[in-house]
Amino acid sequence: MSPVLQEDDEKDENIPKMLCQMDNHLACVNCVRWSNSGMYLASGGDDKLIMVWKRATYIGPSTVFGSSGKLANVEQWRCVSILRSHSGDVMDVAWSPHDAWLASCSVDNTVVIWNAVKFPEILATLRGHSGLVKGLTWDPVGKYIASQADDRSLKVWRTLDWQLETSITKPFDECGGTTHVLRLSWSPDGHYLVSAHAMNNSGPTAQIIEREGWKTNMDFVGHRKAVTVVKFNPKIFKKKQKNGSSAKPSCPYCCCAVGSKDRSLSVWLTCLKRPLVVIHELFDKSIMDISWTLNGLGILVCSMDGSVAFLDFSQDELGDPLSEEEKSRIHQSTYGKSLAIMTEAQLSTAVIENPEMLKYQRRQQQQQLDQKSATARETGSAASVAGVVNGESLEDIRKNLLKKQVETRTADGRRRITPLCIAQLDTGDFSTAFFNSIPLSGSLAGTMLSSHSSSQLLPLDSSTPNSFGASKPCAEPVAAAGPRPAGDSVNKDSGNLFGAEVSSQQNRTYVMSYQPQLEGEHLVLVTMCNQHIANNPFKLVVKSDRSYMCTGLLDLSFGSEGDNNGKLCHPWGMSVDKEGYIIVSNHNNNRILVFRLKEQNLVKELRPRDLLESSSDSDEKVPLVKPSSLSKRKLELEVETVEKKKKGRPRKDSRLMPVSLSVQSPAALTAEKEAMCLSAPTLALKLPIPGPQRAFTLQVSSDPSMYIEVENEVTAVGGVKLSRLKCNREGKEWETVLTSRILTAAGSCDVVCVACEKRMLSVFSTCGRRLLPPILLPSPISTLHCTGSYVMALTAAATLSVWDVHRQVVVVKEESLHSILAGSDMTVSQILLTQHGIPVMNLSDGKAYCFNPSLSTWNLVSDKQDSLAQCADFRSSLPSQDAMLCSGPLAIIQGRTSNSGRQAARLFSVPHVVQQETTLAYLENQVAAALTLQSSHEYRHWLLLYARYLVNEGFEYRLREICKDLLGPVHYSTGSQWESTVVGLRKRELLKELLPVIGQNLRFQRLFTECQEQLDILRDK
Amino acid sequence: MAKVSVLNVAVLENPSPFHSPFRFEISFECNEALADDLEWKIIYVGSAESEEFDQILDSVLVGPVPAGRHMFVFQADAPNPSLIPETDAVGVTVVLITCTYHGQEFIRVGYYVNNEYPNPELRENPPLKPDFSQLQRNILASNPRVTRFHINWDNTDRLEAIKNHDPALGCGLPLSCTPIKDLGLPGYIPGLLPENSMDCI
Repeated sequence: MSPVLQEDDEKDENIPKMLCQMDNHLACVNCVRWSNSGMYLASGGDDKLIMVWKRATYIGPSTVFGSSGKLANVEQWRCVSILRSHSGDVMDVAWSPHDAWLASCSVDNTVVIWNAVKFPEILATLRGHSGLVKGLTWDPVGKYIASQADDRSLKVWRTLDWQLETSITKPFDECGGTTHVLRLSWSPDGHYLVSAHAMNNSGPTAQIIEREGWKTNMDFVGHRKAVTVVKFNPKIFKKKQKNGSSAKPSCPYCCCAVGSKDRSLSVWLTCLKRPLVVIHELFDKSIMDISWTLNGLGILVCSMDGSVAFLDFSQDELGDPLSEEEKSRIHQSTYGKSLAIMTEAQLSTAVIENPEMLKYQRRQQQQQLDQKSATARETGSAASVAGVVNGESLEDIRKNLLKKQVETRTADGRRRITPLCIAQLDTGDFSTAFFNSIPLSGSLAGTMLSSHSSSQLLPLDSSTPNSFGASKPCAEPVAAAGPRPAGDSVNKDSGNLFGAEVSSQQNRTYVMSYQPQLEGEHLVLVTMCNQHIANNPFKLVVKSDRSYMCTGLLDLSFGSEGDNNGKLCHPWGMSVDKEGYIIVSNHNNNRILVFRLKEQNLVKELRPRDLLESSSDSDEKVPLVKPSSLSKRKLELEVETVEKKKKGRPRKDSRLMPVSLSVQSPAALTAEKEAMCLSAPTLALKLPIPGPQRAFTLQVSSDPSMYIEVENEVTAVGGVKLSRLKCNREGKEWETVLTSRILTAAGSCDVVCVACEKRMLSVFSTCGRRLLPPILLPSPISTLHCTGSYVMALTAAATLSVWDVHRQVVVVKEESLHSILAGSDMTVSQILLTQHGIPVMNLSDGKAYCFNPSLSTWNLVSDKQDSLAQCADFRSSLPSQDAMLCSGPLAIIQGRTSNSGRQAARLFSVPHVVQQETTLAYLENQVAAALTLQSSHEYRHWLLLYARYLVNEGFEYRLREICKDLLGPVHYSTGSQWESTVVGLRKRELLKELLPVIGQNLRFQRLFTECQEQLDILRDK
Repeated sequence: MAKVSVLNVAVLENPSPFHSPFRFEISFECNEALADDLEWKIIYVGSAESEEFDQILDSVLVGPVPAGRHMFVFQADAPNPSLIPETDAVGVTVVLITCTYHGQEFIRVGYYVNNEYPNPELRENPPLKPDFSQLQRNILASNPRVTRFHINWDNTDRLEAIKNHDPALGCGLPLSCTPIKDLGLPGYIPGLLPENSMDCI
């Protein structure tokens, strides 16, 4: 919303004048300041508080209930931090250049420096003033901060160690009486500091203090009463070049406005001895504050009489403002460094050298205009969105609210209503549904991301990513399941969010399953597109004690009851490990029994010989065995491996949970001792194998509809049992028979393959023709996959093979999964084979590896806990929203992480440099991962994004390297190693796509021209 | 800063017969999840003369309250006519909605209520003994009087300060209005409230 500066605008009723009224302060507000980025507001008041405000974009206009009712807030500003430290009225606040710090001063005689990246952390409290501190100003290069107080002193503090640099008292010795404020100011070139209220020969002045030696030789004289406010124009100016006059270079100068108790305002240029302009009796009462507009040509002055004045200058009056680049050059030449951030604005005066460049610049401007109008439309619709919750309008909800609302009785019989959540707050600090089980107390993104539950924030990756990609974005649950024990505060890391899974179904309903682990009352918040769904939050009561769940048919039974050795005596706890060992704890005789699943024989009985007799009666001391990591004492039983899988009764459950045994009792001591004997040093990997089933059906694809039916041991031809394989593709059916039982099957549009007993793998064409004689696998099959003409077999011995059956070549040869699975109890949660035959393993810890056949390496392509993904913020480089939905293997593996990353970036203020680095690293990871996965579509997407980011942020070296590689040698030489294509894309075509992107930043016009000319040469050849 | 701010109170089914229940649809915003429930009360002022005749129509706990905007309908039975002085049955009185957290009241919304006979005959010649079945209750829904109090949201040990906080208010009562007694509940400094808490009609 642009400021109302024209009288016509002021009279236009459709233009809102007041955008937001924030009435959170409890007493007079003395000061309010924008952060340099314009993102935040900081206000300080007599209530001793500093409040930091941020604009809330989601919630639409509202009124303050109970006020006269007409004051609608056009914008919503929400208090994101309250800073409490001062014991008296806060008089002034100031953001440091770069917005890393916020300083506040108070009548408690102190100045407090706050960490603006991590509110409400206090970096320093500056003590030294003996009177009320009434003004603050930062040195523009960030080396000092100056404060002025009623104790007739002005103090300059170093930001290096927050110690006093100097205290200036002489010009203030004569000062009598007090002013409300003493707002001093530092010139934008850093050379001068100008104080409020000083005296010289009993006349009120604004004292000029030189940075060099803190000399006080000059002052601004002329006001009749004490100076309350001094404010430098943020711009540095240079003399306007007049036509015809000799262009002699003049020194840049600054411009300063001085306001006084005498109700007048004076504006000075540091190159003139007299004021540029003096406006007498502008107000009825003292001037309280002055603010310059960003372009340096407007000035807003407010007075104690309750009015605000706006003054408009022309460039003829003030001079030509220097660009930000020139300004930072001045800083750099004078101080060696500048904290000022480089901005696009600094390029505004650059000369456009190339007509093509101009074209792109214009197009870009047009696009920006389009975007603006688009966002304007969006904001219009956002307001209406607020009135709709999950497709139900607020009106509908209101109609049924009384009927629908949940009312319970508390233990003492009181009525308790669960309110209906109609909207969420969108400022990060309170976004409970999104990050509910993570402590949010202002921690940096990096720290929160290491929290183990971050991988479960977006549990959408598991089962059917394809269907998500296809469905409309508005219907996707972008965040799901935020359970936490009722009554717990958000900040408490409940950490009990376990694998909430969302699976999509065809009829646009979503099924979410979630198994809470902690006993007690849980609240589950489910949001779709940041909206709570109806009847939210759900309350779940989780009871785990003595509740037995039956997951299927009885698979086996073992053991028998009795008091003798090896018998079960009132079993209370049981656990199964990966290898099929079953551990049972007996209640009544304090024993632990270990069974082996395949043979169901007792392997070992642990007997607590030295147990105290009394322990058998008390529940706490009973050896409880549970798959838990909560116990204080943890004992892992590693058991010897069965080298060769014996035939027996393989478990049907393909996902065995890795289990560790925890024992909490005196018995543990004994158990530990004996367990040592059991443990074997090596642990070979063993993957679950599918058991033979009577018959099963497998849907290969829905479009074209194709499914495989398997019937084992159907036909008996002369006593020989055969298994039948049927395949139906869009109504066309074929079938064939195999001699051994089929364990698992897989298919693609090109091939159908089945794995049978006796380690046989057979491959058929889409018409049912056998393509190969049966392949003998090195060990029993665990998982089979087909994509295109590629067949992937994962064996129980954790080796992986991929073949291209059409070209009849091996892509991956018996590669062990040992390197990615070893040494931990991770399991493979998802397997993917890309169109190019690249196998990808998603592990239970959220990492995904792909095998690079050309390098024979496992490459990490995705990590759910990757902090880079969470910190990276490249929204500015996104061409449009839907481009995020780039589909491909990388998107499938990573799921919605990119989305969450953007969210996270909004929630945390990270220093810009850190943000840049993480974003770059993240984008580079993505480009490399897409390349390794040979996903050309995604490679192009991420490469363009990366390039756009490089252009936006002005990274020349990397951009140049990319262009060089894409362009290749212009003059062909036989010795060149350069490949003209990358993952099937022509590099020079890619470069042509990049050119408009490069053209958007004038800084890169040289690069743009070079590339374009060379491309032209190549085309002409 | 208050963790909970009331966004709106809609008076439902108004006007209505005297004996029908009060219904308020309350929407509020909470900017940090609350550890405990909010307690809402509806208080009917039976007589402007004395607090004795105040009736707490109902009190209800509302929770759990996560951060966000929420709404609920608060329904309470009509006041017991036998507890209302006969002279005050017809005319203007007040109904209050209060909300407390940890026993500290942080908002109080007051409405003028006019009880009168819709029947012109009865209005001309009201019966000596008020006929409640004929009375109609009209809540002046367009003019809520909102008073906000600063309370300690974090722990229960003490009230930080009792501070009246509503910059939009402070116009004083119009003279034509029936003077209303102090809207304060026990525990509040009575003199503080009527001055600043009232909006103009």
